[in-house]
Amino acid sequence: MNDLLEILTYPFAYRALIAGSLISVCASILGVILVLKHYSLIGHGLSEIGFASLSLSSALNIQPMYIASPAVISASFIIMYVSRKYRTAGDTAIAIASSVALALGIVISSASGKSSSMSSYLFGSVLAVSEGDLILSLILAVIVIASFVILYNRLFIITYSEDYAKTLGINTAMYQLIVSVLTALVVVMGMRITGTLLISGVIILPAVSAKIIARGFRSLVIISGAISFAAFISGLIVSFVFNIPAGAGVILSNALILILVKVINKS
Amino acid sequence: MTERLRLVDAVIKYGDIAAVDGVTLTANAGEMIFITGSNGSGKSTLVKGIAGLIPLSSGTLVRTPRMSYVPQYEDADRDFPARVREIVLTGTQKPGKLFATRSDRERADSAMKELNIYGLADKEIRTLSGGQLRRVFLARALCGNPELLLLDEPCAGLDVQSHDTLFGILRGLLADGCAVVMVTHDISDIDGIPEGRVIRISHGRISQDISHGGLNHE
Repeated sequence: MNDLLEILTYPFAYRALIAGSLISVCASILGVILVLKHYSLIGHGLSEIGFASLSLSSALNIQPMYIASPAVISASFIIMYVSRKYRTAGDTAIAIASSVALALGIVISSASGKSSSMSSYLFGSVLAVSEGDLILSLILAVIVIASFVILYNRLFIITYSEDYAKTLGINTAMYQLIVSVLTALVVVMGMRITGTLLISGVIILPAVSAKIIARGFRSLVIISGAISFAAFISGLIVSFVFNIPAGAGVILSNALILILVKVINKS
Repeated sequence: MTERLRLVDAVIKYGDIAAVDGVTLTANAGEMIFITGSNGSGKSTLVKGIAGLIPLSSGTLVRTPRMSYVPQYEDADRDFPARVREIVLTGTQKPGKLFATRSDRERADSAMKELNIYGLADKEIRTLSGGQLRRVFLARALCGNPELLLLDEPCAGLDVQSHDTLFGILRGLLADGCAVVMVTHDISDIDGIPEGRVIRISHGRISQDISHGGLNHE
């Protein structure tokens, strides 16, 4: 316990703790919409597009966020547009985009000789969280939570039924765009800590667990956020104690919570 | 007479096939219109076109913005985690309005009471029967205080008592100046409001327009 408290005195540890908690809660709130709208795979697709962008920015020696953010936001919008327009084509679009992007990222990083530095993006690293990332996470959390509070009724209706939202005169495309942009930003920020391979789990798993026990949309959002926070903290502690990558610890904590919720709900 | 709906020469195409083919229709305040026809005749497509869910391929649609639509089937997951109260309250939403007010919540409560589902307010919609769910959608539609109410097979799954309650509510709405357009395959529904106008759709066109006992062929 003392060792654990000592670890938290290191700047990298408290930066990871605060930034990771904020991103996890944001991811899980957006995850509610993505799970209910059957866009569960979008986080996975976007993170691999993010990996390709990071490889490119690393090869060109450009600040990663300058390429990753616009690339992932654009990809998010395109994937959601394709999913909405051709309903069944969504998963196919994600599968194609993510595998091509991952291949592209590997080619770029290996051609530029920076394969080893890219592994921290694939598997995540708590050491990767800088002071700047911490501030960006804070801004992102404020934007996501404020958007959710202010647009709660709209997001609820659109998540429930887009057709019904249209009959109320709600601009469904605009709200879809908002969700796309926020998801993309969460993915870009989150993949620094959990890694591009695992960020989709941080988005989806808490919402899936919460859906089992929540009784209503509002409680689903709150429970999803709470589960994500608990899973991140416990995952991070496990990763510090057993010296394993933080992303893997967080995902396994989330998976354990999902199993527990399932078992308790059944009994 | 205040016009709530004007549809002129409306065509809705799926590919090359015209599901609605040159329909002209008006609905005035206080007017009840039943739209009947066989399966695949285009009656549901017509109402979806009026609701703005399917764009017209050609023609003109003018309607009051205070419109509520109760679909035959909602494009929502049956196990969507929402309480009855949450769904009914959405009926009070309109463009430019972000938050539900106290009066919205009171309106939702009163709509649920009118449709005898107030006792279900805190239940999740995934636990309801088809008939109960239909009453939830009707309560939601009433919350919008509509001037034009579009109903697609609203009586499907309703028991006799709920059926009578529905027509009682519709009579009240008509008296308040709401126009009601109801799609139904069950001709006996027309007995609910015998003074209503009956339009029969066949192959996407109006084949019969029976108004106030008169018979007009278009």
